[in-house]
Amino acid sequence: MSLTAPLAFPPEQLAEVHRLQALYPDRRAALLPVLHMAQDAFGYISLEVEEYVAGLFDMTPAHVHEVVTFYTMFFQRPKGRHVVAICHNLSCHLAGAPRILTHLKERLGVEVGETTDDGRVTLLSVECLCACEHAPMMQVDDRYEFDLTPARVDRILEGLR
Amino acid sequence: MPKLTIDGKEIEVAPGTNLIEAARALDIEVPHYCYHPGLSVAGQCRLCMVDIEKAPRPTIACNTVATDGMVVWTQTERVLETRKSIMEFHLINHPLDCPVCDQAGECWLQIYYMKHGLYDPRMVDEKVHKPKAVPLGPHVILDAERCILCSRCVRFCDEVTATGELGIFDRGDRSEIGLFPGRELDNKYSGNVVDICPVGALTDRDFRFQVRVWYLDAAKSICPGCARGCNIEVHVNRRRPHHAQGRRVARLKPRFNAAVNKWWICDDGRYGFGFVDDGSRLRSPLQREGGQQLPVAWDEAIAGVAGALTAHPPAETGVIASPKMANEDLFALRRVLDRRGVTQVGFAVRPRVPGDEDKLLIRADKNPNTRGAELIGLGGDTAAILAAARARRIRCLWIFGHDLLDAGWPEAETRAALGAVETLIWSGTNANATSALARWVLPSAAWVERDGTFTNFEGRVQRFRAAVDQLGEALPDWEILGRVLTALGEPTLAARAEHWFRELGRSVPAFAGMTYQSIGDTGQMVGATREAARA
Repeated sequence: MSLTAPLAFPPEQLAEVHRLQALYPDRRAALLPVLHMAQDAFGYISLEVEEYVAGLFDMTPAHVHEVVTFYTMFFQRPKGRHVVAICHNLSCHLAGAPRILTHLKERLGVEVGETTDDGRVTLLSVECLCACEHAPMMQVDDRYEFDLTPARVDRILEGLR
Repeated sequence: MPKLTIDGKEIEVAPGTNLIEAARALDIEVPHYCYHPGLSVAGQCRLCMVDIEKAPRPTIACNTVATDGMVVWTQTERVLETRKSIMEFHLINHPLDCPVCDQAGECWLQIYYMKHGLYDPRMVDEKVHKPKAVPLGPHVILDAERCILCSRCVRFCDEVTATGELGIFDRGDRSEIGLFPGRELDNKYSGNVVDICPVGALTDRDFRFQVRVWYLDAAKSICPGCARGCNIEVHVNRRRPHHAQGRRVARLKPRFNAAVNKWWICDDGRYGFGFVDDGSRLRSPLQREGGQQLPVAWDEAIAGVAGALTAHPPAETGVIASPKMANEDLFALRRVLDRRGVTQVGFAVRPRVPGDEDKLLIRADKNPNTRGAELIGLGGDTAAILAAARARRIRCLWIFGHDLLDAGWPEAETRAALGAVETLIWSGTNANATSALARWVLPSAAWVERDGTFTNFEGRVQRFRAAVDQLGEALPDWEILGRVLTALGEPTLAARAEHWFRELGRSVPAFAGMTYQSIGDTGQMVGATREAARA
């Protein structure tokens, strides 16, 4: 994202915004999918992005800010190219998640909530992701990784560029 | 019309009435925080739970519409227990800093806790901490820890002003009210969020720490800020003058009037009372001696003014009345003019900057009584009077309140007009550039220091009442004019504003049959009485 160019969706994405807005009796219902699109397009949801999206919905930026701060999947600061989110809830915890988390921290050299210096990975620790049968597990971007061991984690991290 | 029973009492209400309002009609209070009759229903605070027969569990009254045959109980053991639990919940993260909170004394957390509190809190964990003393804009300051997230302020900005500045950010016990980063709460009605905030989260930057609210006295009044005539309460600090460095008017608050301003007032009106206790207030009559204006006794000033009015023939006398004067003053003035046969009268002065206006309350005419001045017959071309003064056809000019040197006319021309006048008389509350030129200066009582009525732009006559004593020797204009009238040989028996109003009702058809009693607290339209219809 360039700092000088005004922030905006390209025409085809703008068309998608309008399609989504038309799906609902109250077009504000399309705010969540459009914010996800914005996060993909602009990297994260900056205040500038919130103001841009507010304009698309004829809302005030305060109301977009309400939504962005409510949900955990919107990043308000720059994030890594990949997001690794390990579950720290009961089943995973009993199945060894703390050991996996320690391993992740060592391998990536970051604490939870931080991003590696090369901007490759952001590490998160999250509540239950509903895959207890494969504990311990984590989410890497849009996919689930199951039955984790340190060796398996190493292989997964290697695949992230 | 649905008929229902609340706590054993029957009542019929309009269709669509919710249970809080239905109970209110029976003088039964259902405690609530988030519900406000001027805003949409949020159902956020859960405090207004009532029992409805055949319903399995307590239900929120705000979001339940009264239906025919409904049987409602507001004081069952289950309801009281529920309220207690909800109060406990609201107070989990509340700092309980009442001793240093400006809301103390008018806080609904305090009020309801007295009735429905747990008194033996079970909370042992540390409270969540949030931002404190955050200025949101020019008038409002936020303490997020005291907030119970009722969302009234958010809904006010969404629904009433449609400016949408406020939101609830984050979630769970970290939720807090706030502005989009970098923005301000600076709309024309921002002060209202302080009124509707049921707790000490939003307080008034102008009022806060001036005086504890239990030391305040209140008088019903009318905002003099524009032609709308919003109903207000004037809150004055008479009992602890040392708390506010002699500032007597502590604050103005809106007073509900369904036909005029509902629950709201604008910020210009709310904070427009500074002149009342300003250093520029005139405290005694003044007479110009050479280059100086020196204090004189009232008797001397009245004799001087009456003498000037007698010495100058009516054709050489002009008056510029003010649409900021009350009906009583204007009528007393009318009588003085009639006594002397003065016909060159105006009241409208073009403002230097045209007034702003909106669709909610604010009117472009920044005068509270233009309609009254018109009805009492003081209309006329002020510019023509000034032109006549410049041409030395008017030798004696009496100006009420205006600073003509700060108006929408070229200052040099006005200065020439005022300079050409032989006897310049000026009445008003605060000294200004025009009053400084006058031979006689008569100090008027401010609107909060006296009784009177204004007629708003729709023709609604509304009463305002004295909230504080007159400052120094200042007098209401009607009294000054009554004394002048007496000095001119027409003694008046009117000793109170109300007497003048009664005379006004006898003389001016639009006001026929009106009395202070018939006007009451909500006002009365001109020409509305039987006497007026006949006249």
